[in-house]
Amino acid sequence: MKTKYMNPYLAGVLLGLVLLSAFYFTGRGLGASGAVKSMVVTAVETVAPEHTADSGFYSKYAGDGKNPMKSWLVFEVLGVLVGGFLSGALAGRLKLKVEHHPNITSKKRLILAGIGGILFGYGSQLGRGCTSGSALTGMAVLSLAGFVTMMAIFGTAFALAYFFRRNWI
Amino acid sequence: MIEEIIVSGRMNPEIDPYLHVWGWEIPFYLFIGGLVAGILFFSALYTIRGKENEYPSAVKIAPMFTPILLGLGLSALLLDLSHKLYFWQLYTNIRWESPMSWGAWTLMIIYPLTIVWSALWVKDVFPKWNWRYQWLEETIETIRQYKRQMAWILMVLSIILGMYTGILLSAFNARPFWNTAILGPLFLTSGLSAGAALIMLLSKTTKEKHLFARIDLMLIGTELFLIIHLFMGLLAGTQVHIEAAKLFLGGEFTNSFWIFVVFGGLIFPATLEILELRKIKIPHYISAILVLFGSLALRFIVVDAGQASRWLY
Repeated sequence: MKTKYMNPYLAGVLLGLVLLSAFYFTGRGLGASGAVKSMVVTAVETVAPEHTADSGFYSKYAGDGKNPMKSWLVFEVLGVLVGGFLSGALAGRLKLKVEHHPNITSKKRLILAGIGGILFGYGSQLGRGCTSGSALTGMAVLSLAGFVTMMAIFGTAFALAYFFRRNWI
Repeated sequence: MIEEIIVSGRMNPEIDPYLHVWGWEIPFYLFIGGLVAGILFFSALYTIRGKENEYPSAVKIAPMFTPILLGLGLSALLLDLSHKLYFWQLYTNIRWESPMSWGAWTLMIIYPLTIVWSALWVKDVFPKWNWRYQWLEETIETIRQYKRQMAWILMVLSIILGMYTGILLSAFNARPFWNTAILGPLFLTSGLSAGAALIMLLSKTTKEKHLFARIDLMLIGTELFLIIHLFMGLLAGTQVHIEAAKLFLGGEFTNSFWIFVVFGGLIFPATLEILELRKIKIPHYISAILVLFGSLALRFIVVDAGQASRWLY
């Protein structure tokens, strides 16, 4: 069965317009890892408030009446969930499933995706942003760091894909 | 020793600027009250219209949750009381001008009725059920003959119950955000919508799901209209009412109210229901859960915001 996907070039232009409207309405760009960070900080603060206060990283976002969940990125990611759900429903793809190549198992796909996600999350904090927050938004405001991030993320992926490709195809 | 001069009672803690004496218990109870009112209203309505077998979840199954739900709600209410053992004193008089008295007496009548009403349908839902005592079986059979009359009583009482959950707040003149007559109808509509959502969750036939999705859509439309009017009314009021509205129009409740109640609890589930009615495959429980969550969030935010709004600046 052929599923309905949008033309990627058209989707890219639309994403650019989303970024433009985010700047217009909120004065902020897009981001994704920031929302995950807020969730992590909130979880750590709930479990171990003393550790949060001691740590240089966590204390920037929590404590002193600061609420890490009250951030634009958290609300934006909630919106992404809503939008993704609607677009999936309209395209008739609203099903709970693991998408993977027939040569690998669902389990392998999930484990590797989990490891990849953790590495990317770690890297995004070292690099002060992910593909959306640093590369996409950064390049839109012509920030040099944005271009460097974009080249680093996609360049590394392109260079190393050959060695890891058996893990997904 | 630190010498202090008491200038005004407002220097006491928790009086000013934020009178926060109501925690989770009251909004939780108000939500349950509205939900039960909604379930009973639809159960009674479709009994009167003779559609017990067409819409079994609405008429027979959903009401079986009401005694349990009311029990939970009333327990929360009891937890909030400072003098728990004196609650019976509410039943020593009737005060027409007090919403508390209205609520206490309505609940006094409606709670036993929900138990009897559920008992009427037990044999329909669980065909193998055995009442064990002959007299119990006979009593239930006798009451069953008067189910239409009982449905009329339940319908009226459920509207009073749903309305009172809002009036309870709006009768409180000292808090400008609550002091608006829209809260009664708004909470009633929201309770009916939550009831319809729970019925949608329970129902097994597409016909019933779609009927309640359409009902819910109508109620959501009404709720949006009432919310707009709530703010129109407040903004056209005195300065304190305008300040109260500003809590939601740029103030501390802006994000939570517009995102979780208006968008997440009304507009988004309404969109999903419209798509569902247009035969697009969407799990029906998602919109139902969102409506229930929005209805709960509405109570929490309104109770909190009311306590944050005040007369003196």
